[in-house]
Amino acid sequence: MTEPVDSHQLDDLPLEQLVACHECDLLMRKPVLKLDEKAHCPRCGYELYAHRHNVVQRSLALVLAALLLYVPANFLPIMQLHLLGQTSDDTVWSGVVGLYNTGMRGVAVVVFLCSMAIPLLKLLCQLAVLLSIRLNIGRSYGLLLYRIYHHLRDWGMLEVYFMGVLVAMVKLVDLAELSLGLGLACFISLLLVQVWLEVVMSPHQIWSALSGEDLHACD
Amino acid sequence: MRAIDAGILICGECHELNRQAPEGVSQTCSRCGAIVHARRPNSLARTWALLITAAILYIPANVLPIMTVSALGQGSPDTIMSGVITLMKHGMLPIAAVVFIASILVPTFKLVGIALLLYSVQRHQPLSARQRILMYRFIEFIGRWSMLDIFVIAILVAVVNFGRIASVEANLGAVAFASVVILTMLAAVTFDPRLIWDNTESDDDHE
Repeated sequence: MTEPVDSHQLDDLPLEQLVACHECDLLMRKPVLKLDEKAHCPRCGYELYAHRHNVVQRSLALVLAALLLYVPANFLPIMQLHLLGQTSDDTVWSGVVGLYNTGMRGVAVVVFLCSMAIPLLKLLCQLAVLLSIRLNIGRSYGLLLYRIYHHLRDWGMLEVYFMGVLVAMVKLVDLAELSLGLGLACFISLLLVQVWLEVVMSPHQIWSALSGEDLHACD
Repeated sequence: MRAIDAGILICGECHELNRQAPEGVSQTCSRCGAIVHARRPNSLARTWALLITAAILYIPANVLPIMTVSALGQGSPDTIMSGVITLMKHGMLPIAAVVFIASILVPTFKLVGIALLLYSVQRHQPLSARQRILMYRFIEFIGRWSMLDIFVIAILVAVVNFGRIASVEANLGAVAFASVVILTMLAAVTFDPRLIWDNTESDDDHE
């Protein structure tokens, strides 16, 4: 745990020895973390940073897995509906197209952004950031992309979309015969990999690796 | 002690600490190059603006139908609430509860919650800082889940696509509802949580 220190000492310390809580602006002496430890703000409980091992390698593996899953998850049928001898497929993409064609263009764009475009952009940003750390090239672009990633973060809504799939299934189950598609399995895997990735890729370590302060992120 | 009192600014994007430059100079973060502010500029006014817009759109979002389900040529428009009631009548209580929470309770709670946060920050009242930060975190976390209904509509439009036999169409209510969700999410982003602690701290210090 970190300790807030007396004001007068803190002013004099160099910035490297200090840390401030992003949510409540409390200034503290920076604690030294061992592997797999986390620091929380003593006043508001916000997680200041965590120290994990092998961040870059593990995240890189997860990003690649997520990117491989991305195409089947979005373009293979999530479910199929059979009604009076007719069959219709539902993919994430066909939902967007369907909305667009019924004249709800604004909503179609929002759905496209939240369920397809932003999750993909997030993954691509993460991939580029990790590669730039790993190969030690283009750090300044890495910093820019990682900033973009943090702005996009809240707007990718795969888990909400998954909940939407569940609700839609329940609504449809009485209406017609329903069968699940391979796309659903890919979508769930993509979701899980992405959540795992967000846990593994601890921002503090990525930021300091990008600026060349932390030499242990690749361990 | 707050970082701002020590003349230190936290970068809003990479959380790096920066020494405050002399007054009136726009400053960029030494690590990531983002513009650093002691507090987000005009945080309260912007949040109020977004919140009020959202509150106005909240009315059409709930009154107008969000989608029309037509079977064999007969269409029945559904508002958010009537969708929940239909689910309940079909005995699907758990799912009805999820939809009710995501599309009715959460947006309402967010509108009221953000308004309360803003009011209590401006008036130094009536919630404790801990209550306020818990509320802020809850609002920030829960906001995205209101998009649930929009995604359900997208899925239904795609899958129930049998021409005259059965089809689903989205309506204007969906546009208003999606706008409410996005505006309240933006309001949560523009609100600066550090303001919550600023005035409690000055209360304690009697500054």
